[in-house]
Amino acid sequence: MTTLTMTGVSRVFGRGPAAVHAVDDVTLTFPRGGWTAVMGPSGSGKSTLLHCAAGLERVDTGRVLLGDTDITAAGDADLTALRRSRIGFVFQNFNLIGALSAEQNVALPLRLAGRRPSRRVVRATLDAVGLADRARHRPRELSGGQQQRVAIARAMVTRPEVLFADEPTGALDSTAARTVLDLMRAMADAGQSIVMVTHDPGAAARADAVVFLRDGRVVDRVAGADARQVADRLASWER
Amino acid sequence: MLRMSRAGLADRWTLFVGALLSVALGVALVQSSLLLLITAATFDPPPGLSAAERMEFSDGTTAAVSMLGVVLGGAVFLAGFIISSTFAFTVDQRRRDLALLRLVGGSRGQVRRLLLGEALLLGVAGAGLGVPAGLEVMKLQAWLMRRFEFVPDGFTGQWRMWILGVSLGTGLLLAISGVLVAARRAARVRPLEALRETGAAARVMTAGRWIAGLLFFGGALALVIVAPHGGPAGGQAMALNVAMPASVAVVAFAPLLVPLFARLMPFGGGVLGSLARANLRDARRRSASVAAPLIVLVALVVGNTGAGSSFTTSGIDEVARSTHADFVVEGRGPIADVPGVATVSTELSLPGEVTTGQGEDRETEAVSALVVDPAAYSAIHGTPVRLSGRAVAAGPGGDVPKSGTVRLRLPEGDLGDLPVVASVPATMSGGANLLLPPGLVPEAQLAGAQARSFVALKPGADPAAVRAALARSGPVSSLDDWLRADADARNSTNEKIMLIVLGLGGLYALLGVVNSAVIGAATRRREFAEARVTGLTRGQVVRVALLETFAVTGAALLLGVVAASAALIAALATTSAVTGAATLDLSWPLIAGVAAVALTVTGLTSLITSWSATRRPPVTLLAAQE
Repeated sequence: MTTLTMTGVSRVFGRGPAAVHAVDDVTLTFPRGGWTAVMGPSGSGKSTLLHCAAGLERVDTGRVLLGDTDITAAGDADLTALRRSRIGFVFQNFNLIGALSAEQNVALPLRLAGRRPSRRVVRATLDAVGLADRARHRPRELSGGQQQRVAIARAMVTRPEVLFADEPTGALDSTAARTVLDLMRAMADAGQSIVMVTHDPGAAARADAVVFLRDGRVVDRVAGADARQVADRLASWER
Repeated sequence: MLRMSRAGLADRWTLFVGALLSVALGVALVQSSLLLLITAATFDPPPGLSAAERMEFSDGTTAAVSMLGVVLGGAVFLAGFIISSTFAFTVDQRRRDLALLRLVGGSRGQVRRLLLGEALLLGVAGAGLGVPAGLEVMKLQAWLMRRFEFVPDGFTGQWRMWILGVSLGTGLLLAISGVLVAARRAARVRPLEALRETGAAARVMTAGRWIAGLLFFGGALALVIVAPHGGPAGGQAMALNVAMPASVAVVAFAPLLVPLFARLMPFGGGVLGSLARANLRDARRRSASVAAPLIVLVALVVGNTGAGSSFTTSGIDEVARSTHADFVVEGRGPIADVPGVATVSTELSLPGEVTTGQGEDRETEAVSALVVDPAAYSAIHGTPVRLSGRAVAAGPGGDVPKSGTVRLRLPEGDLGDLPVVASVPATMSGGANLLLPPGLVPEAQLAGAQARSFVALKPGADPAAVRAALARSGPVSSLDDWLRADADARNSTNEKIMLIVLGLGGLYALLGVVNSAVIGAATRRREFAEARVTGLTRGQVVRVALLETFAVTGAALLLGVVAASAALIAALATTSAVTGAATLDLSWPLIAGVAAVALTVTGLTSLITSWSATRRPPVTLLAAQE
């Protein structure tokens, strides 16, 4: 069972001799209920790949399927609906809305979808990331790790089919990073599909599989590697 | 959505205080002007006035009403402009927040509704503050008008209950129409922009800007072209309306023009100068938004005072050129019999009411009529007039048809239908609307008329002796003295009008300037912090911000003058068409004053905002990202 399928996807920025093939004819499948890490050197097209997979970036060629839904040519309204119900995002910079409390941030996707979120559901989601006691705090009153866990709670409150994470531990210290990765591991073990872009071999090693990207192309895919093996593999591709 | 709007307002209060103030003062200014206008239009003369005084009173209120009409128009324009540009700027500065909203599932409609919701709250709150503020503004405006004698002593603005509804409506309308365009634009923000560190360098010149710019440029151009053909009154009115569309056109093109002009400013060398220059190049929309209210302020103040004083000077020159006399006597008497006097034109001024047209088109207007001796009038004022019997002529003040018949009612009697058989050219300096031949008005009715006699001497006459003899008929002044006094009076009137029309509006626009400078700096904390971790000291960051501010202010001043020059061109063309001599009279102290105030205000604002934005250590700012 796959939750996300990319077939022959390319994305080019610029034109003529200055054109950059950020994603170059990539075909990938992401299994349902699995955690896949995408690694590669800087500029290898990791983030663009993630944006294309999540429908944030238009693809030039190829197709992207979320479950059975072809999102390649989806319009703005369809993509918006998708973000509300079937896709969750977590980013390096947390991207919480500063004006809203942790609780309100978590409830936001549901409210945008026109649902009246029950306090119980919101609290339970915050509780799942270990922040039930921080519900009324504003983002600026939380540590980086806490903010990221609020962001994860916000992404998870809609029970999305896929959680996209772009360098989720990139701005965190190692302790906070470990907490976030433990949380994601537990989610994956509970059946959540996760696609994560990362620089950190330690983070990638927590995933079920690691996809290596170079110059916009998939160059390798390994499963069950530890941090050392991932780092060695990455180093070999960076040479 | 409304709760989010409220949360947004509460959190970004620095961005919104300015928007709220601009709505509140906009509502206050519109409300005050409207109430004063209504009061003036329905103002009844106090009991116990003579018929002549009543006619003069109604002529005075007509002038006050038209002046207040201009004030109201200006207030609506400024409020609309300042509010919409402030809103557009605040929305622009929150692109990342809005993109974030889209990222977590917000639809375009929801972004639009969020912004409209905010505008709704700001409109209501602004009207709530604006209504009481408007009462204070009205006291001030009424006091100015009384002090300058545009209205009689007892004049005070009158409260009308319905103004509550009007002001609330004004606040909502201004706020919501102000945010509509910005909201549409914001709804097109792509979710991906939330992930970029700085907002994507969005296209600076949108199609809307091009269209608005060209449209208003066309409007200003049309006014400049038509003004010289509008006669003295029409031409002046058009020239004084050029600065508004011209400034809007310049503002529309500001993202192109401001960086271009800012580059001309002296930045000084060194790393700080080049950093400031680079920042300006990078933040074109921000520079344009900061410059916008200043461009409008400068265009209105320089353009309209320049055009106004050019018209006044042109009128003064015209009177000096066309008056061929040696003495002016404020009175009448047996002047012609004084030895040494060649010509005397004794002119008796009476208020009156002229009715023109028939049936539906019937129109009655307050006028000033001048009883003259046609031959003497022609000789003294250098324009031929032939009148006799019941025939009258259209005077230099215009406003009366140049042919056909008019019905003239004087304070103490109806003169019936009179044929208009001649006209003198309408002049820039204005004057009587109707010239009447002697004998038409019964002598008894002339007793109360204001008399003025222009006296020309015979060659070789002894001026001192003649002057002494003339003094028996009334106060005498030499023509030069009289012209000087006349010029002083005209200039002073012009200045008073400009102060009433532009004074409060100018202050309001200045608030817009401060506003945009504050908003421009409010979202730069992170940028400042980045500069500091790169190695700049706090003082250097503040200096770079100040350099940028001065460059943008300088560019805005120049662009304001560019827009103002459209009004000045219209004034040149109109004075040339009306008097034959193109006249431009600029008040350099005023222009220098505007520049000094602008530089001081924006400089101080920049200092304060950048100093406070750099208060926290840069590392804590960079670590704590929202």
